[in-house]
Amino acid sequence: MASVVLSEPEKLYIVHGVQEDLRVDGRGCEDYRCAEVETDVVSNTSGSARVKLGHTDILVGVKAEMGTPKLEKPDEGYLEFFVDCSANATPEFEGRGGEELGTEIANTLYRVFSSESSVDLKSLCINPREHCWVLYVDVLLLECGGNLFDAISIAVKAALFNTRIPKVRVLEDEEGSKEIELSDDPYDCIRLNVDDVPCIVTLSKIGYRHVVDATLQEEACSLASLLISVTSKGALTSMKKVGKGSLDPESIFEMMETGKRVGKSLHIALQKILDEEESLGTSRQKVGFLG
Amino acid sequence: MPLDHRRVRGPEESQPPELWAAAGEVPVEGEEGEDKDAAPRDPCDLRPLFARAGLLSQAEGSAYVELGGGTKVLCAAWGPREAAEPGAAAPAGTGRLLCEFRRAPFAGRGARWRPGSASEREAEREAAAALQEALEPAVRLARYPRARLAVSALLLQDGGSALAAAISAASLALADAGVEMYDLAVGCALCRSPGPAAAWMLQPGEPEERRAVARLTVALLPALNQVSAVLGGGQGSSPDAWVQALRLGLDGCHRLYPVLRQSLLRAARRRDATAAAAATAATA
Repeated sequence: MASVVLSEPEKLYIVHGVQEDLRVDGRGCEDYRCAEVETDVVSNTSGSARVKLGHTDILVGVKAEMGTPKLEKPDEGYLEFFVDCSANATPEFEGRGGEELGTEIANTLYRVFSSESSVDLKSLCINPREHCWVLYVDVLLLECGGNLFDAISIAVKAALFNTRIPKVRVLEDEEGSKEIELSDDPYDCIRLNVDDVPCIVTLSKIGYRHVVDATLQEEACSLASLLISVTSKGALTSMKKVGKGSLDPESIFEMMETGKRVGKSLHIALQKILDEEESLGTSRQKVGFLG
Repeated sequence: MPLDHRRVRGPEESQPPELWAAAGEVPVEGEEGEDKDAAPRDPCDLRPLFARAGLLSQAEGSAYVELGGGTKVLCAAWGPREAAEPGAAAPAGTGRLLCEFRRAPFAGRGARWRPGSASEREAEREAAAALQEALEPAVRLARYPRARLAVSALLLQDGGSALAAAISAASLALADAGVEMYDLAVGCALCRSPGPAAAWMLQPGEPEERRAVARLTVALLPALNQVSAVLGGGQGSSPDAWVQALRLGLDGCHRLYPVLRQSLLRAARRRDATAAAAATAATA
């Protein structure tokens, strides 16, 4: 991952600041940086979103394609995640450099979405055992400025909210052969219910305290962080420790409480933005990549 | 006509017959039937764990861990060796810990996984990353500048809680190799079966793990009371429920710790005895 090199006094400055609940950019320990969310930025996708969180820049595109359901779940569609670490983000990602980080993030996303209730997969089924929608969620890292996981999960949720899957009907003739018919109206489509899609909250342990939404500099000061995924109702669906260090059990419990609180307010803020954008409809001025 | 042996002459994909069984028919499996007859398991119950350190002659350190349900993990540790490319990943002044996790092709239940297939390799790499994150806090890497330590875990049989067993075995192997460590990392797995009032269970067996709606693996450094790995997910529940699960798991780690320590002591004594025997043979 992209990293910065800090000298010992610089680290000490950050750690002491965090102790006083005052971070280098003036935030408190539980504050997120200002986030920009825009949906429907790539017209070739079924749904897309771009999230800019400080200097972290993420683009997510969702493409719906028809496939065959998995054998063990014949009446459900499924999601596929792929994370591409662009060399624009850091030169370390050039060639196959970003592959390891990419698979790690994709595995984390699979775990976050492993809960049955996160997305209604049954609605993606067209006809059991034969056809279903497969949602390919492609994540592009355009810029890394710390706290990748949170930004990616926000972008994935926004992109899924924006996803429109065309409606299809299955026609069956007398001989039992089936035919799939696509609706003529392009606006006739299914929307996904994203109320239960979790967001990831990363809590980095710095000194004796933990912070949310760490910048690259703060990540360099933290030995261990806890990654938890929270739904809008405050339920935890997955957790993972990342980093070289270890954590005290008591501080893990505290971090989970903070994560739940922060995650809930994050969901409320995100939903508000998404609804606002939705209500503007086509009259919305698109910012895209020029903003 | 000569037969082309390279071509598989069956259908391209196979499907389990249960899928096509009439709905409502519950497939009766021998082991699940047994499960129903048995009294509900005590959630705090630990499966018997057998650990033995120092059994491979070629590796610097090695360990074998077996859990009651049939999980068998063999671990070997090598090092410290000179790092091939100094300072590639680790910051200057510390060593690197390389972890590898392999599954024997016959480890799992059901069809054999093709070794080297993409999904298999992906799963192994993920487990290796989890193993590394669990072990790194336990090893004093700062004492091995510009060196690398290697640990490889081989899962011989998967009977549930495989990653947890691999963590315990790998830290035993490192300790057996004489690597400087803060403490042993003890792994413990938990799972929650479906149902609204289902409790978390320690060290699930393979059938329990397959049916579970939520799984969690924790690793603890018991002497320091530091958690080195938390990895879990599944059906959402309140933080309090997860806290309870974590406490249960950490308690399990504390209870497993003496077993692992005993096995290390036994290995050291055995080594002393062989050394003494060799010395007396040389003087005689």
